[in-house]
Amino acid sequence: MRVLVLGAISFITFRWVLIPIRTEGSSMLPTYAPDKLHFVNRLAYGPSGPERGDVVAIMMAGPHVLYVKRIVGLPGERVGIAGGQVQINGSNLAEPYVRHRRAWDRGEVTLGPREYFVIGDNRGMSAADHDFGRVQADRILGKLIF
Amino acid sequence: MRRTLGIVLAVVAIAVGAWFLFARADPGAPVRARLDAFADMVNKSTVDGLGPEARSAQLGTFFTEDVDVELGSGAAPIHGRATIIGMAARLQPRTAAFQIRFQDVSVTMGDGGQTASVHLTAEFIRRAITNGEESLDAREFLLGMRRVGPDWQIAKVTAISTLQ
Repeated sequence: MRVLVLGAISFITFRWVLIPIRTEGSSMLPTYAPDKLHFVNRLAYGPSGPERGDVVAIMMAGPHVLYVKRIVGLPGERVGIAGGQVQINGSNLAEPYVRHRRAWDRGEVTLGPREYFVIGDNRGMSAADHDFGRVQADRILGKLIF
Repeated sequence: MRRTLGIVLAVVAIAVGAWFLFARADPGAPVRARLDAFADMVNKSTVDGLGPEARSAQLGTFFTEDVDVELGSGAAPIHGRATIIGMAARLQPRTAAFQIRFQDVSVTMGDGGQTASVHLTAEFIRRAITNGEESLDAREFLLGMRRVGPDWQIAKVTAISTLQ
């Protein structure tokens, strides 16, 4: 009986609350290495939403294939990249998690009321091989907890 | 304890029942089946004896004559089944180390069941010929599908930029 209850609780937890994911690719190096198991907390965000610096899972067509990116821009902010440096409202953003930077450039955009700007930690790779940019809040599945 | 177990089992039973009813009544099932068949066809290696032209022609049956493919990111649009068949024939020798998988497929039926709009994530798994190492890429797509006779065919493919 206990096994059944434990099984049901585990099923609910790992299906709707803590989603196990396996990382692919190198875009979040050095913070998250490829081919490792992590968990996404779907209940991490209340009405206030994600904060700058959070690493979040972003849905593509659904919850089975996800981007893992870091939030650098919040709704309403102006975000751009100049010479590899992320700028928020015209000021450089301190990013201690970035080890190497290539001279990426991206014109400034103003985020909508439900938009975030996300990017991977690995800025040593080519910008053409790295997916980053604006994302709608409803695509954010949750926050990576480890 | 017994009450808790009863509640848990009841919730699970309701969920299973709802899923079973929903799955049985899913009008998009033939569309999903057709997409699964397409992925199977792409994933077949050349060991079944089919030559590149024959396989490409088979792949062509999954598309309408006037199919439009828009991959975005500066790629030129592709128009017509004949173009796709030609491209597939040229790519064939390389596709033996290439697999496709569809995830999170959602189907919305339209036009009295004669058309369907499909939102999905396509995973592309490439296996390096030299060391067998696999790499995975994924893109989000919107497909417009049309019923042509007994079959469903892809009439429009549009790549979606998840991050803009």
